[in-house]
Amino acid sequence: MRVRTLGLAGLSALMLAGTVGTVRAQASGGKAWVHVRVEEANRQSKVSVNLPVSVVEAALQAAPEDILSHGHIHLGKMGKRDLSVSDLRKAWNEMKATGDAEFATVEDEDETVRVARAGNVMLVHVDKPSGKESVRVEIPIEVVDALFSGQGEELNLRAGFAELQKRRGDIVRVKDNDSTVRIWIDEGN
Amino acid sequence: MLKMILIGAVAVPTIAAGSVAATGVVVVDVREARNGQHIVVPVPLALAQVAAAFVPEEKMHMRLPREAQQYMPVAKQVLAALAEAEDGELVRVEEHNEKVSIRKEGDLLKIQVDDNGEHVKVQVPISLALSVLPESGNQFSASQAVWALQHARLTEIVNVQGRDGEQVSVTVY
Repeated sequence: MRVRTLGLAGLSALMLAGTVGTVRAQASGGKAWVHVRVEEANRQSKVSVNLPVSVVEAALQAAPEDILSHGHIHLGKMGKRDLSVSDLRKAWNEMKATGDAEFATVEDEDETVRVARAGNVMLVHVDKPSGKESVRVEIPIEVVDALFSGQGEELNLRAGFAELQKRRGDIVRVKDNDSTVRIWIDEGN
Repeated sequence: MLKMILIGAVAVPTIAAGSVAATGVVVVDVREARNGQHIVVPVPLALAQVAAAFVPEEKMHMRLPREAQQYMPVAKQVLAALAEAEDGELVRVEEHNEKVSIRKEGDLLKIQVDDNGEHVKVQVPISLALSVLPESGNQFSASQAVWALQHARLTEIVNVQGRDGEQVSVTVY
């Protein structure tokens, strides 16, 4: 069994587990399912993980304290740099106020990176010139808002995830030469 | 007098059989492909419970690693949520000559592994898994696990088919 493939699927599921909400009153998330697909063509490998949102919520709520502290996560020092959530929050509030815009476009020989807001969605697109490799991340504005609803240096994961479970459709798509990863939420299993 | 003996001779096995049926029986069925041997071992759950009572206390408990202890509440919460969730395929892995599937159907978690001609099917009632996992602490009781098989009545919990045709199944009646 491909440990890497399973690991990738598991990691994707866990990442997404972190982004699924906890507010049970939100009926829209009641029967939602989180899906992860990883396909590797050259190894003829396909991995599918389908989890009811309620199961992910349960995992999130019961997660050990050292992983998740009351639904909040602290960003501390990353290497030699300090990553300040409060600075990110300020920057986000400024960006949000500008409406639809291209926030960043980086073009070099290897790839093009585009960070933009389009309507209610934040887009992160990474493309290789060959056209064979790309990354598409689409996060609703409300999710980012909810993430920054924590105090000080905390990201409010649970609130962010509660918002995310309202979304239906793709969240992440990654494509490279021989593999694809797709993460999405819908009502079916 | 003879009448009483006759009644006793019928009643005792009937009551014994009824008790065994009421408390459950685990049947281990082994079929050898080459020599055609077929072995069936029925083990009454009540007997297994009685046997467990004679095992020293320290041998009856398996100490869980620290990492596992930490995630025990998560496992319980996840299983409880899964029990309430809709049925569906939770995991599917397909590779060359290899397939793994984990499905939830009612109270059952069905795990199926096909690996180069070997087939393994495991069906675990979620209620069984919930009753086996310790509420707190770091110990897992083997006698509790035996008793938890009550939750798996009329379920083939394991079925293994080898490449050469041998087959092993464990069913709880």
